[in-house]
Amino acid sequence: MNPITTVSGIGVAVPRANIDTDVLIRINRLIEHSPDELGEYLFESWRCLPDGQPDPAFPLNQQRYEGAVVLVAGENFGCGSSREHAVWALASFGFRVVIAPSFGDIFRQNSFQNGLLTIALAADEVARIVAELEGSGQPTMTVDLVGQVVTTPSGRIVAFEIDAERRRALLDGLDDIGVTLTYAAQIDAFERVDLQRRPWNFRTTYEERAMQLLILPGDGVGGEVMEGVKRVLQWLRECRGLDVDVHEEPFGMAAWRAHGTLMTDETWQRIQTADAILFGAIGSPEYAQIPAEQRRVDWLLEMRRSLDLYENLRPVRAIDALLDASTLRPEVVLGVDMVIVRELAGGVYFGQPRGVETLPDGTRRAVNTIVYTTHEVERIARSAFELARTRQGRVCSVDKANVLEFGAFWRETVQAIGDSEYPDVEVSHMYVDNCAMQLVRDPRQFDVIVTENLFGDILSDCAAMVTGSLGMLPSASRGPVRSDGLRAALYEPVHGSAPDIAGQGIANPLAAILSLAMCLRYTLDRVNDAVLVEQAVERAIVAGARTRDLAQPGGTFLSTSEMTDRVIAELHP
Amino acid sequence: MFDKIWASHQIAELPGDVSLLYIDRHLIHDLEAGPDLARLARDGRRVRRPDLTFATPDHAVASVPGRVTDTNPTGGRLLREMRRRCADAGIRLFDLGQSGQGIVHVIGPELGMTHPGMLIVCADSHTCTHGGMGALAFGVGASEATHVLATQTIRQQRPRTMRIRFEGRRSSAVTAKDMVLHAIGRLGVAAGRGHAVEWAGAAVAALSVEERLTLCNMSIEMGAKIGMVAPDDTTYQYLAGRPMAPSGRLFDLAVAAWRTLPSDPGASFDAEHVLDLTDLVPQITWGTNPEQVVDVTGRVPDPAAEHDPARRAAMEAALNYMGLQPGQEMQGLAVDWVFIGSCANSRLSDLREAADIVRGRHVAPGVHAWIVPGSVDVKRAAEAEGLDDVFRSAGFDWREPGCSMCLAANGEVVGPGQRSVSTSNRNFVGRQGPGARTHLASPALAAAAAVTGVITDARRLRETTP
Repeated sequence: MNPITTVSGIGVAVPRANIDTDVLIRINRLIEHSPDELGEYLFESWRCLPDGQPDPAFPLNQQRYEGAVVLVAGENFGCGSSREHAVWALASFGFRVVIAPSFGDIFRQNSFQNGLLTIALAADEVARIVAELEGSGQPTMTVDLVGQVVTTPSGRIVAFEIDAERRRALLDGLDDIGVTLTYAAQIDAFERVDLQRRPWNFRTTYEERAMQLLILPGDGVGGEVMEGVKRVLQWLRECRGLDVDVHEEPFGMAAWRAHGTLMTDETWQRIQTADAILFGAIGSPEYAQIPAEQRRVDWLLEMRRSLDLYENLRPVRAIDALLDASTLRPEVVLGVDMVIVRELAGGVYFGQPRGVETLPDGTRRAVNTIVYTTHEVERIARSAFELARTRQGRVCSVDKANVLEFGAFWRETVQAIGDSEYPDVEVSHMYVDNCAMQLVRDPRQFDVIVTENLFGDILSDCAAMVTGSLGMLPSASRGPVRSDGLRAALYEPVHGSAPDIAGQGIANPLAAILSLAMCLRYTLDRVNDAVLVEQAVERAIVAGARTRDLAQPGGTFLSTSEMTDRVIAELHP
Repeated sequence: MFDKIWASHQIAELPGDVSLLYIDRHLIHDLEAGPDLARLARDGRRVRRPDLTFATPDHAVASVPGRVTDTNPTGGRLLREMRRRCADAGIRLFDLGQSGQGIVHVIGPELGMTHPGMLIVCADSHTCTHGGMGALAFGVGASEATHVLATQTIRQQRPRTMRIRFEGRRSSAVTAKDMVLHAIGRLGVAAGRGHAVEWAGAAVAALSVEERLTLCNMSIEMGAKIGMVAPDDTTYQYLAGRPMAPSGRLFDLAVAAWRTLPSDPGASFDAEHVLDLTDLVPQITWGTNPEQVVDVTGRVPDPAAEHDPARRAAMEAALNYMGLQPGQEMQGLAVDWVFIGSCANSRLSDLREAADIVRGRHVAPGVHAWIVPGSVDVKRAAEAEGLDDVFRSAGFDWREPGCSMCLAANGEVVGPGQRSVSTSNRNFVGRQGPGARTHLASPALAAAAAVTGVITDARRLRETTP
């Protein structure tokens, strides 16, 4: 905001009462033009005749008043709409001061925010100034905010009143937000007391149950990285007032060791009712020790199936400080920011018939089937379009329409949803083979990629390498909207159990911590906290924190828990 | 009541008689949300309470049936920016086609988002509407809205208080719109400047919540950025069971607290006015601000009778713009457009009021008649009781919710020189489009104008069966 002290120059009178903000600036102008272009349209409906030509009778069109900096008007100036554009239009026309007997309340408040000085003088005094401006002398005047006086065209000195604080702010050009933020502690305290005093006022009231989080560390490095997640969660509870019920259950080999079964009924029940599952990893050579009939069920797939987790989100974002970690050239990777939306509950992984059979002539024959219904394609397409709306508004749908019937069907269905429900989102289509190539050739072209299960599995690993380390990639898998309005969701790092480094305390916990950030964003509706966590991770990386997977070969690196320390050190409430 | 709510939201007293006040609800809309959130992001600041901030597109979205984001391209650009930035900030957005979308001042009370005793702001001057629920609500500019996003507070100088009491019995044909137009006509468009107005009296207590919202909606047209009505059992019954209202034990606790809000019997006000409703008849504006209002049975006033020269000049300019002659009868003026909608009059009871006139009749030849329901939920409720059929079969356009032709921000305009009877709240020069001539009135009067093609006292149509 520009400070204002003394304004000297031409004054112009528009001595009408109740000049409203619609007349000051018409609605279509304020939508179509930036604030500094609005001056051209000030008083448009009065300045112009019906044929669009300037009305020579209107003072602002007269040469005598060209370059005016002071506007003198009738009572209740700036009544009506709250549009701040009225102030911006006056300012961009060149006015620094408006003098009137009185002002609309909202307009006056807006004028202070923009360094436009509004001076209220008695009606008869305003009338005298108008007469002087319209008289034969030079229409020049001076407004001195320091001395709080107006020098009229005839040289009379007229004092004016202005609130001392407002005056100071105008003289200094102060920004209100910055000043108010110095009261942050008082605002915090008010909120704490108010929550007790008027609990009904807040959307999260005490009658609502706390969200249920279920932690399943699982196999391999899962337990090690989930320790980091638990520490960040603890920090959020202590420093950010995060109110969640967290429960942990052994999963995978840990469940086998604890209970002699890979899945207890109790754990299964908690999986069904959790609002979000924070999952570590699954997979270990130790499964070989378990009797085959106990191993028949893949419990991760079973969870996806029973919760109908059809939507798998894998964000891939290049972090500048890690550009060297990519096998691609930095200029290819710089600025990559995409999300792969993978259909997770259908396709070849679930399609029937499937299996291996031996034919009468002894040849063996293996069959898997890709199956998709309209409903399945439509819902994942909607996921992608909704997500794109919150990003750059571009969806690339990937298929194999040139060879497979299901591909043509997929393309047609996605296009139809885009046309009918999301005309504001740009949709394009790409064959999967080309997409694999484009991901390493020019990954920046993508915003949201949507594809079916198998292609998504392959492409998301391919895209993962764009950023260099699997240890940085979070994921979310979500189901349909439940009766309570929430969606079942499972958040897991993409890297898996990594048996080769399990138990050494050197795994990178960042993917798991970033998965927690996705949980904060999507399930817990705590976007500010999600951003805090994401920024802390980024700052730790920028400050040089590296686990082994990110470090230069032969360089030093941090342990899993040291990396978590570094992230927590970067978290600021 | 005003003092109690003000005091309960005061975080700190700042120099210069300014209070730092806590904001309970911040409503944002398509015209301001994107640019304000962008400004916040540019300055590296975050939304402090996304959970207390609610967004919906209303100002610049098209109202044409089957509309999509880009039906009005400039509105589409604003809407997409609002969507992206609300998602980034974690602000709940009631989007096109979803339950909850509508004019900000319709959805707040309707969803139970607005409670008595709350402090509510929105970058829209008609935020005073929420005062009908017993909330302290006012419009703010873009800078103040950005300040609220960043801090969930606002700096305000305490306004003076004013009570306007309606006395006497109102006739059944007199609506809340007529009451408020009458008040503005009597007291003037600047009477409430610098004041928080409490609308009171037995006639106000007898109003439904939707009527109170209409009454408070036009407080700003009298210059008062705050207008309110004391909450009572009518308010609590209206709130009970609404989606975002408290429920169960919490509701009982809330009601107990809300009961302490109304002004005490001996409360004093800086200014007080009393208006008599006896003999009041339906009102309609003739000029270019809402105080230029007459009885629908009356005549266009003569500027020659006005002593104040500025006022006389304004009257002459208004007559010239409106294409009217002094002494001309209001009834019988030919109408080109009828707009039933806006945050003043687009709720279910307003649509019922209009439908009662329209039923069995047909829109007059040459008249464009639009119904723009205030929200998706109003529209659905109206359709459930068949009001859409009443309007459609009479030749009305039954449209999608939004502000539409109230301020013509979405490209929907009344043509130059064309005359419109509108249930909205502003008849300013160019408000409904460059050169458009707007007459403000109740839904009943607007419906009567639509079916007769001229300004008509709706009471005459009620007396005769079509």
